[in-house]
Amino acid sequence: MTGGAGAGAVWDLAPQRLRSAADAVGRLQTERGIYFAPVRHHSPACAVAVRAAIEELRPAAVLIEGPEEFTRLIPDLLHEATRPPIAVLSLGGPAGSGTGSTAETGDREPGEGAGFYPLASFSPEWVALHAGRDVGAELRFIDRSFGERSAAERAVSGPGGSGPAGFGPDASGPGAGPGHGPDVAAQPDPFARTLMSERYLAHSEAVATLARRLGCRDHDEVWDHLFESRRSAELADWRAVFDDVFAWAALARLDYEEGVLDADGSLDREARMSARVAEAAAEAVAGAGGPVLVVTGAFHTLALVEALSGAPEGAPVRDRQPEGGFGPVAEGEAWLVRYDHERLDGLRGYGAGMPSPGYYERLHAAHLRELAVEGTAFPAFGSVGATGATGATGAIGATAATSAAKPGSTKRRSAKGSAVSGTAATGPAATGTAASGTAAGAAGTVSAASGPVGARALAAEILVDVARGAVDRGHAVSLPQVGAAAASATRLADLRERAFAGRTDLLDAMRSCYVQDDGGVGGPGEPERPLGLAIAEVFGGRALGEVPPGSASPPLVRDVRKRVRAVRLVVDDSLPRTARLDARRTASHRAKRQVLALLDFVGAGFGQLVSGPDHVAGRGLGLITEEWQYCWTPLVEARLVEMVHLGATLEAVAVARLYEAEARLAGTGAGSVPGAAAASVDALARLVAQALVIGMGSHLPRIVTLLRVTLDTDRDVDSVVSGARRLLGLWQARVELGAEEYAGELLDLVSQALATAAYLVSDLGKVRAEDEDAAIGTLIGLRSLLRDAAAADGGAADGSAADGGAPDNVVRDGGASRADGAANRIAVERELARLRDDEGTAPAVAGALLALGFTDGEVADDVLVTRVRGALSAGADPGAAVRFLGGVMRAAPDLILHTPEMFDAVDDALRTLDGDAFLAVLPDLRRAFTWLRPTETHRLAKRVAERTGARVDQVDVRVALSEEDLATGLVLDRELVAVLERDGLAHWGPATEATRAVGAAGVCTAGVGIAQVGTAGGEA
Amino acid sequence: MTTDTTISAGTTADAEIRPPAEIRYAAELATLDAWDTERGHERPPGWRLSPRAVRAFVVGSEELGVTRKFYGDDPLVDRAVVSLMGRQGLMLVGEPGTAKSMLSELLSAAVSGSSTLTVQGTAGTTEDHVRYSWNYALLVSEGPSERSLVPSPICTGMREGRVVRFEEITRCAPEIQDTLVSILSEKQLMVPELGPDARVAARPGFTVIATANLKDRGVHEMSAALKRRFSFETVAPVRDRAFEIELVQRQLAAELGPEGDRPEVPRDVLEVLVTVFQDLRTGSTREGAPVKRPETVMSTAEAVNVAVAASLEARYLGDGTVTAAEVARQVAGVALKGEEEDARRLRHYVDNVVRERARTDARWKAFFTAAEPLWR
Repeated sequence: MTGGAGAGAVWDLAPQRLRSAADAVGRLQTERGIYFAPVRHHSPACAVAVRAAIEELRPAAVLIEGPEEFTRLIPDLLHEATRPPIAVLSLGGPAGSGTGSTAETGDREPGEGAGFYPLASFSPEWVALHAGRDVGAELRFIDRSFGERSAAERAVSGPGGSGPAGFGPDASGPGAGPGHGPDVAAQPDPFARTLMSERYLAHSEAVATLARRLGCRDHDEVWDHLFESRRSAELADWRAVFDDVFAWAALARLDYEEGVLDADGSLDREARMSARVAEAAAEAVAGAGGPVLVVTGAFHTLALVEALSGAPEGAPVRDRQPEGGFGPVAEGEAWLVRYDHERLDGLRGYGAGMPSPGYYERLHAAHLRELAVEGTAFPAFGSVGATGATGATGAIGATAATSAAKPGSTKRRSAKGSAVSGTAATGPAATGTAASGTAAGAAGTVSAASGPVGARALAAEILVDVARGAVDRGHAVSLPQVGAAAASATRLADLRERAFAGRTDLLDAMRSCYVQDDGGVGGPGEPERPLGLAIAEVFGGRALGEVPPGSASPPLVRDVRKRVRAVRLVVDDSLPRTARLDARRTASHRAKRQVLALLDFVGAGFGQLVSGPDHVAGRGLGLITEEWQYCWTPLVEARLVEMVHLGATLEAVAVARLYEAEARLAGTGAGSVPGAAAASVDALARLVAQALVIGMGSHLPRIVTLLRVTLDTDRDVDSVVSGARRLLGLWQARVELGAEEYAGELLDLVSQALATAAYLVSDLGKVRAEDEDAAIGTLIGLRSLLRDAAAADGGAADGSAADGGAPDNVVRDGGASRADGAANRIAVERELARLRDDEGTAPAVAGALLALGFTDGEVADDVLVTRVRGALSAGADPGAAVRFLGGVMRAAPDLILHTPEMFDAVDDALRTLDGDAFLAVLPDLRRAFTWLRPTETHRLAKRVAERTGARVDQVDVRVALSEEDLATGLVLDRELVAVLERDGLAHWGPATEATRAVGAAGVCTAGVGIAQVGTAGGEA
Repeated sequence: MTTDTTISAGTTADAEIRPPAEIRYAAELATLDAWDTERGHERPPGWRLSPRAVRAFVVGSEELGVTRKFYGDDPLVDRAVVSLMGRQGLMLVGEPGTAKSMLSELLSAAVSGSSTLTVQGTAGTTEDHVRYSWNYALLVSEGPSERSLVPSPICTGMREGRVVRFEEITRCAPEIQDTLVSILSEKQLMVPELGPDARVAARPGFTVIATANLKDRGVHEMSAALKRRFSFETVAPVRDRAFEIELVQRQLAAELGPEGDRPEVPRDVLEVLVTVFQDLRTGSTREGAPVKRPETVMSTAEAVNVAVAASLEARYLGDGTVTAAEVARQVAGVALKGEEEDARRLRHYVDNVVRERARTDARWKAFFTAAEPLWR
């Protein structure tokens, strides 16, 4: 049994509410001349249908969903220099009160109140504007003003809404259900906040059911399957298209409670829109006459119809309309800004549009070409009568049939077929002849003709372009593979009952035919591969829009000026100035520092840190005051203008920059080199520091998530340890950074880093001789990390952190991580102990571990002495022995002074060495003793003198080097290097300054015995 | 022996331990055949069913009363069905226990009506298994003749226009694999012994579905020439916990008989087992904590092996109930397959994740207590 089996059966399945609404659609058309164009944002199918509708209806007015203050911008939008993709940028704050209040409050909701209304060439709204202008219709935006919208949303989200509640890897993302309040709360990135949200459709149960039944992977594919896979001529049959879109969205709408729709302001917006529609319809009737076309997101159409037709279900919307109407159009500031496909594509994560703008732009163009080729651009329609209603009801019936759970009543993939045929064939008797006849006719024309040339040609074009892109990146795709992919795509479309190969069919075909191994295409969730990049390039698109010259001054510049002024930095002239700040104690200095750091971070070239603690680089952390030089030059403004496309406020730009940095580190950014090394923990920890320094703590969750992942993949223990120390440093500086609320999270990260370090630390035992130094450095860092972490946990535990942090927060957040932290510290210590006792551990590392263990009281005296004696015993390899000694000396230089047994052991070992062996190890030995301070060297010399019976001054030779000596040495050194270079032996030369200095000092001393060695080192 | 086939639906206790798919699902295939006829679906040359019906056979159809046999990745099934229509063969790659062999069996049963034309790839597979061999008694008495020729499954598949399955292709030596190159591109097999023009020509419907385990011996040992003759599809491991538990339970019953005859494996113990496998397989716990992934394949098939071994241990060495402790001991056996690094990864897992869980959960405590000394 299918949709075609009988209108009655299908009809019964449609919910009563939708049946009434479908009737209402017909009545509104005939009685009041109001036509609805329910669309999905950025859908080329809807765009084609909108143009067809406008060209046929020639409406008196075209009303478009979008803040009503945008109406003022319509001339700019239609300007010939305007090229999509562009966006209308709105700033929050109550209408008429100037720019937003973000700056004053200086809170941590950066960019709050900025909203984008993106328009691509294939956006139905964009097409509606142009087609409307072409037929001379009046154009209006009819939605609630942006100011009112964001004010309402702020009120709902409440003061607690912007706190760090969502901090952590599972911060409420776009996947958060519709019960989570307004869009803003669910969107982590204010910059990507769009005024065209369609979250409800993405999360609707009805759509999910439909997806399951149709075998589609997500709601985007459902949409593609039902709408984007229609032939051009079918799309030109706008009545059928809009009926089906209406049914599709209305079913989704039934999933949502009034409370949800109220909470996020949908009902208020619909009240405004329906009121404006009623006004326009009345004007049109009074004036020149002609219908009114309402282009809105399909999700709202049901509500508008019910509100306008007086249906009881429309009461919640009507009740929100004020007694005397909404009055004059709201005011509000808005600008046109350039937009790009990348950003448009990025929006999909926020449930705000279709993926793959590059693909859909081409698809739209293909439709236009095909319709143009067919000559009669759009099929001629019969009388403009009450035909829509019948189509709508049929479609609703058919679609309802597929989603209603009635076993045996549907077949797979039948929804579209029956929806279309429902429109064409099963419309209840009434007057459906005109529409259905045309639909059937259109379908007939297409099938009789040679098929959809445009879309089919498009498939080949895209397959070739991706292949070319992949080849350019080093992934071979042969011509036969492209051919196979084309065949495969067509067959997939056929299997899935689509008219031509659509987006998912093409993607699947490429996955089948372009991949010749087990690695997949690469991309999200998989390692990056050339093919994935090529696909991203073609499907994502690269277009960048243009806005007409002379648009209003970019708000970003004004925002920055205001921000800088607000913290009392001078921007009235372009003279360089210096600011000395004490961020630790003075809040106003903290604010200043934050603005300076922000501008520095975004690359405005405004100020730079001359001295003081640099938490990002990890320099000068002990310093209290910091000194900045700054200067407001025209160059700064120019740079800001360049950044306008990144955001409307300083915070938004910084957010975009943070994303860039993140993407670079995650290896997914446009600028990253394919196959580049994986992100390092240390680099990400730097980014965390950066985010905290510029006061973007609210963006930490993402970075932290990335960091957590990286902690799992980074194989470099040094990076992990340095990163963890950096994080701990941030925790210690939490007060001056204003980051108390993240204290718990930082400690938690440190704890996770410790767990990773525990896992990786055994690598240190396997280093080669030349890497031992670095390994010991890491060990020492790890030890201080352990100590600091223990102190930090202790500090967090007693609730009164040394510098008086916010006790509440720290205690709450610290509780859980403290336990983990302790466990992970123990894990590290366990691993260190294992490494220390492992025979195979590199000698220097073993020595260092032993010395550290002894210092920390974990290794007993006798164990230490036994091990040292063992390592240095007569039979041991002198090289390994000296490396071992070097490790001990590096980690705890004074051990040899305070432990007589060790002194004896070393002395015995050196004595038993024969001359050649001693000379061989002398350089290393010398270095080993450089870790002693001069006074310690002196004491050691005394000890040696006692042992050997010599006088101290014989042993402790003070080599006085004057400046001249140094100069002579340097000249000598340079000459030597020159000679070496001349002879092609440059690589023999000294590698670093450090070795050069040691070498120079070494020249002056020679001799046998421990004392000389020590002395030389000490002096160097 | 393939591990893949251990994941299957049927457990009918016929004379045959495990009848092939076309017998087990004969009724469903008949229904689909009738459906195709009724709807007038076009069947590609040589196919018993239309592509739509093949698809419905694998992913199920409520409407037709056809059960779902393969879970998780419908687009993959679409691609596989379409690949079979093309000139290239279909190569299913993936870890053991991802139901590759089952998918290949289902596809060939639906497309050709039989899944028995199968070459089992091993290190000992020779060219004879791929091309043809001789009945030597007849060969000696009659010389080379049609009668004395023993066709391989591939040879038969070409003659009859049917799908041939090549299991574990990467276990064969590359030279043997390459025998397929000319067969797949020329679609004919020369038999020079029978005369200069003697050949077996492939009829429509002939194609090859090969499966390859990534971990046994990587697909990279396959020649580029052969790779070009295949469409590659990667089959992902089972992600759904409940589904995996069910698979393990079903398979336990298949291996050890129904509950009651064997030590009971409580569901919560299975949950521990499947959780361990999923954690280690995906590299992160359900709570999102990162875990080091071992090199060893933590496949569903291995999970079944662990469950079986734990049952046997409980029955013959223990008190007859399977606890998390038995599971822990057996997991160690499965996971520690010689890789030094793996031992370290598992130790890390036990040290961190399991230790933590053991604090609040008795089952995990049992697991931890048993595992700790093993993985020192």
